[in-house]
Amino acid sequence: MARMEQMVKFVARYALLILVVLWTLGPVIWMISLSLKPPTEWYSPNIIPQRPILDNYVSLFISTVPIGGTYFMTSIAEAITRPFINSLIIASLSTIFAVLIGFLAAYGVSRYRAGGTFTIFFTLLTRMIPGATFVAPLMVYYATLRLLDTYQALILLYTAVTLTYSIWILKGFIDEVPAEWEEAALLEGAHPWKVVTQVTIPLIKGGIAASALFIFILNWTEFLFALVISVTQVVTLPVQISMYASAVGRMYGPQAALGLIATIPMVIIGYVIQKHLITGFTFGRVR
Amino acid sequence: MSTALRKIAEWSNRPKNFGRLLMLPLNIVLNFVLMIPFGIMIFLSFTAWHPLAGVEWWQAPIAGIQSFAKALADARFQWALIRTVIFVATVVPIEFLLGLGITLLFLGEFRGKKIFTSIVLYPMMVPLIVVGLSFFLMFQDFGPVNLILLKALFGGETMISWFLDPTLAFLTIMLADIWQWTPLMFLIVYSGLVSVPTRLIEAAKVLGASSMQILRRIQLPLIKPLIIVALIIRGLEAFKVFDTVFIMTGAGGPGTTTETISAYIYKLAILYNNQSYAAAVSLILLVALALITRLAIKPLAVKPE
Amino acid sequence: MAKLVVRNLRKLFGHFEAVKDVSFEVSEKETLCLLGPSGCGKTTTLRMIAGLETPTSGYIYINDVLVNDVSPQKRGIGLVFQDYAIFPHMSVFDNLAFGLKVRRTPKHELTVKVDETARLLGLSDVLHESAKGLGLSEIQRVAIGRSIILDPKILLLDEPLSNVAAKVRERMRGELKRIQREIGIATVFVTHDQLEAMVLGDRIAVMKDGLIEQIAEPDEVYAHPHTLFVADFIGSPSMNLIECELLEKEDRVFLDAKDFAIDVTEFAETIKKKVTGPELIMGIRPEDLHMSIKKIDPKAIRGEVQFIESLGSSSIYHLKVGQKPILVKGLLEVEAGDKVWVTFDLKKLHLFDKKTEVAVW
Repeated sequence: MARMEQMVKFVARYALLILVVLWTLGPVIWMISLSLKPPTEWYSPNIIPQRPILDNYVSLFISTVPIGGTYFMTSIAEAITRPFINSLIIASLSTIFAVLIGFLAAYGVSRYRAGGTFTIFFTLLTRMIPGATFVAPLMVYYATLRLLDTYQALILLYTAVTLTYSIWILKGFIDEVPAEWEEAALLEGAHPWKVVTQVTIPLIKGGIAASALFIFILNWTEFLFALVISVTQVVTLPVQISMYASAVGRMYGPQAALGLIATIPMVIIGYVIQKHLITGFTFGRVR
Repeated sequence: MSTALRKIAEWSNRPKNFGRLLMLPLNIVLNFVLMIPFGIMIFLSFTAWHPLAGVEWWQAPIAGIQSFAKALADARFQWALIRTVIFVATVVPIEFLLGLGITLLFLGEFRGKKIFTSIVLYPMMVPLIVVGLSFFLMFQDFGPVNLILLKALFGGETMISWFLDPTLAFLTIMLADIWQWTPLMFLIVYSGLVSVPTRLIEAAKVLGASSMQILRRIQLPLIKPLIIVALIIRGLEAFKVFDTVFIMTGAGGPGTTTETISAYIYKLAILYNNQSYAAAVSLILLVALALITRLAIKPLAVKPE
Repeated sequence: MAKLVVRNLRKLFGHFEAVKDVSFEVSEKETLCLLGPSGCGKTTTLRMIAGLETPTSGYIYINDVLVNDVSPQKRGIGLVFQDYAIFPHMSVFDNLAFGLKVRRTPKHELTVKVDETARLLGLSDVLHESAKGLGLSEIQRVAIGRSIILDPKILLLDEPLSNVAAKVRERMRGELKRIQREIGIATVFVTHDQLEAMVLGDRIAVMKDGLIEQIAEPDEVYAHPHTLFVADFIGSPSMNLIECELLEKEDRVFLDAKDFAIDVTEFAETIKKKVTGPELIMGIRPEDLHMSIKKIDPKAIRGEVQFIESLGSSSIYHLKVGQKPILVKGLLEVEAGDKVWVTFDLKKLHLFDKKTEVAVW
């Protein structure tokens, strides 16, 4: 009797799990499939390509390569090396700044109660405000400063916007470090800055790494501001993807390939974060 | 030079000064990158400026509250808002319920739990724009949804042009959001549920409660505060939806039928180059959001943890 | 007819045998105490009775029904956890009513029962307060009330008083005894505090390493411990345990403890039948030793006072007889350094076989 019940539960559970997996991986599988299909199969329902090719990927880097034997008019879409590098530069630098400045601020708020309620308020605020509301003034602002379509503009912007996350996360970690340890060092006459670098930072290395990776992902995948600020010079990967989708119409193969290339680093980083921070990683303390 | 440095070092040794020094970079960045543009936004909203009219923006004619009045009466603005609210009100509860469902599926131990968990959490890590791209590709006329799924469900050659019908297009955008963020809800609900002390569950068992009753009367009530925060955070994020709308329906298509509020403002600023009006609309939105959050925070702040 | 029958229970956690072979019966209105140090398997046994752990082998019968495969929900058992585990998000009323609500008891019947139980436990005043702000003794009563309101066939208590500060413990001990008497359900409780066991239990089962060493009434366990472990565990301060050898000298039989010897010729025959060898351990409780300044008893031994622990109405004297430390409980006007004469009450002497650790006298 109980056996029957257990059997049914067992089967039901795994059946549902498979369903969930299919739903979850469905889009990915289709993307992979498309990215390996020749143009003749782009509109067919088969998941496994009959004639798998790598041309889709190659064409992203060298835009004049034929795909599956057909030449495409890819003059509007550009190779992705430039956007990839752009994304890399912008995301990395913004992350470094955000973590740096965020750490200083988090430390100030945690240990010195500096910034007061405003900092907390600001932290909540920047998460709430839709980016679109800043589009108009930002356009005007950067145009006036002649910073449109520059690295600086995006780096500054990304830093400012992700500061809230780095402060939130790092503050959590700093709070965990017993203040007594720092006070002991201070009492021995060490300069506060030394205390920070010698005592605190080594202890929260994990937190710094986690916030850096998390912010990097945010910066890498950011779309709206990149779309607005960049014109030709600093087109980032997400913008490139959208340009590709609209410009080249139904070139599903390369589009899918591009999408996958953009995703893989993020997924890897995502798993790295997962492994290192299982507890409490719901964007700070959700309490 | 070194005396200057030493003076700074000495000055920063005092706690209050050091604290101020720490906050300095933050303040600089905030002011230059966010505060000034905010000021510009306020200024612009009171002017009537067109970039193509030949004048610099700071010389633009002051137009008082013209733009605001126009915005409040703007049907397109209203619809964009309504649409966005419908989006949030639909998507967030579904994500929560599905997340809860998946949590129930994952309770207890079973073979391969770790792998299944990794797979289920995967969508959160896909860049938003790629999610949009994925779903865009899937719902194409000759895409798998039409060719595989519908064929399996309804047989025959059903071909739905998803992006040409307003409701259907909206549906696809919602599906994309649900696909990406349900795992987050799952993560939050699951961690919450698991953190309920086993003792309480054992006590309930001995008192005769079935698993369903335990879930309903013990576990869910205990994680209610957590869930509420999660719903609010997800709701705020969902409100900003843009990336998927842009790439899947060209920022609002067909026509303006899937135009969310972010898409509308974007178009105003970039496509129509109507910066003043965009600024006015943005300001109204911000004020509204601030008020609503204020109202929502009050009862939450009073609620004892 | 016993309410609870436990037979040959065994529980393995991986390779660790937490419970080796436990059997006992508990009748209606009786309170059995499972007493033992941590890790002896008492809590595991309790959890198996409740249904929260499945026995590796053995049987559990409640009212003559085999319940091994019955879920904890359906066993009709009340369980009070060590940390009480009352539901923090509910009021006292809802906590008490939980089991009834789960059974869909009609509202007015529910209210009547809750009021009754609250009155019995003195909780009527806090009935509608949240469970979060309650004091420890109130929490305990809610935990108990929550269980007994369902008229369980058996009540199980896991270390009911270990969370409690020493001073309050006495009062709560008294309360528990009163409640026990009033309710009269078959009860099994688990504790490591032998005083608690002695006061609250109708019978005590002393456990060690997954086995019951002795199961008897408190007086019996106190006066006639079956094994060395039981002898040592029960009684505060602990029984004096001294190694000795059974020696025959001339016509007399002695227990030779090197620093002193005791003549046991009268019952030597009985002892000799049960021992496996001459090596024994003798035990005598501090309260069964008698001290005097002058030598009254010819068989008395000489000891020196090392230090004295004053307990108020009596004191514990740490003596040294030769090399051996001996504790005596009593009252005598002496100081550290003084010499006293110690007499053994032979009727209260215990002897244990050194190898088997079983009592031979």
